[in-house]
Amino acid sequence: MDEVHRLNYQGLTDLELLEHISNQDRDALATLYERFGRRVFSLAVRILSDSVSAEEVTQDVFMSVWRRGATYVSKKGKFTTWLFSIAHNRTIDELRKRRRDLSRTNDDIDDHLNLESGDVSPADATVAQSEYAKIRAAMEDLPEEQKNVVELSYFKGLTQTEIAEKTGQPLGTVKTRMRLALKKLRKALSAELGTQV
Amino acid sequence: MTDSNEIENSGELDPRFENFAAYILDALDDEEERAAVEALVEADSAARAEFDELTEAATLLAIAVPPVAPPASLKARILELATGGTAPVITPAAPIPSIQIPRSTTRWSRIFQSGYAASAAAAVVVLVAVGALGFQNRRLGEEIDLLRTYLDAEAAAVVGLHAELSAMLVDSETRVASMKGEMDQMEDEFGATTAMFVHQEEMVSELATANAALREALRDQSWLTYVAMKEEFKVESWLADHQATSDASGIFAVRVIGNEAMFQVNGLEQPVDGFAYTLWLLGNGEPIAVTQFAISEIGSATVAFILPAPFFQYSSLVVTQERVDSIGPRPSDVQFLSAEAN
Repeated sequence: MDEVHRLNYQGLTDLELLEHISNQDRDALATLYERFGRRVFSLAVRILSDSVSAEEVTQDVFMSVWRRGATYVSKKGKFTTWLFSIAHNRTIDELRKRRRDLSRTNDDIDDHLNLESGDVSPADATVAQSEYAKIRAAMEDLPEEQKNVVELSYFKGLTQTEIAEKTGQPLGTVKTRMRLALKKLRKALSAELGTQV
Repeated sequence: MTDSNEIENSGELDPRFENFAAYILDALDDEEERAAVEALVEADSAARAEFDELTEAATLLAIAVPPVAPPASLKARILELATGGTAPVITPAAPIPSIQIPRSTTRWSRIFQSGYAASAAAAVVVLVAVGALGFQNRRLGEEIDLLRTYLDAEAAAVVGLHAELSAMLVDSETRVASMKGEMDQMEDEFGATTAMFVHQEEMVSELATANAALREALRDQSWLTYVAMKEEFKVESWLADHQATSDASGIFAVRVIGNEAMFQVNGLEQPVDGFAYTLWLLGNGEPIAVTQFAISEIGSATVAFILPAPFFQYSSLVVTQERVDSIGPRPSDVQFLSAEAN
């Protein structure tokens, strides 16, 4: 009976699951986690390079969905966009907090950013090869300067002013490169966006 | 690699939306910028379209991250929190036991396993609330620590600035004092130069006057020499300072026909105040003071007068200094020039 119930949840769309979550449906939350938990966790690991902190962030993200699901407005964007915005925002908060702590002890944050990919299972790797190949290829096609500002902002948590100071580029140039990078990704993967997530 | 079309492409970007990408990438620097972006997106459909487009692209960045499997315990922990975070609706049919809860999960989750669900749920409410408060307090504490660090840094900067300004002030005062000294010295030098200039002007003026007097004396001498050569006048005597008190000298001439006489002197010093040089004729009865005369700046004079008697009747000529307009009957003892008449 429980299995049938779970299967029913699997057939629901993201928005339908969110409606159930708004009604405090714990099974809907479980289904949503199964659908996106790994990606949220992966993003957190990629940025924080720390699986323990990534667990805390992932937990906070899904608890936000649990509490704030009713506040999501579909006409303002896709659910996945909303979810990953929450995930990225929470992860960057954690990263900046950690950076402040490290700066107080004069430690070098770069020493703690050793990306670990040992947790990637063979199955995940296979999926990655097929599912993300185009996105990664599009990212690789970005000009080095644009790729750099995206890396420093989205994955390293630097603000645009910090990026300008770090790279010696004018602030306006940093802003322009951020926009151009996103626009190129959007243009290169417009077909994918219609079907992704 | 530099995008060769980057500059060209940037020209197509609406400058009003310049902060959209940074907003989406969580790279804005402050809340004011965030609020400005949100207000623009709310108010402008074009802004909304641009924003959505960039946001979708940013989602791809998350999707492209290499997948990492989360620990199995994470899902259970989230579901436990979800249950504990809501109103404590505990039903016997709740499928809690079907979830694999690891031993490493939180203490209150084990309470659920032990069957004290109702009391545990209440405890969870309290713990979550306390935990939330603790989290908030910890964050506030961190913010306070950070602000304190900033304040310490600002205070240190202010102290440094104060020291720098004090040093600049002392340096400025020293430079002002030095400049004032230089200006005083320049003023003194200027004053000395001015005095020297005035003195030189005075000297030039005196030289000009002397030059004019000399010219006049030379002219007189020339004239006398001329008339003597023409034999209109006859030089009768050469006057000299026989007491050798000065280098003064003179010449005395008388017109050949008539009783007109002239004499020309040089080298006399300026007379004492209230006195004037006086020419005397002696040897024909009582001494006769025939004239008083002034001398030029170089001590020269040319004087013409009428002889009271023919010149050969006199024995000598004498030049003395006598009181002006109060000439005595006899010449003073000091004779500045003298000559025999014959």
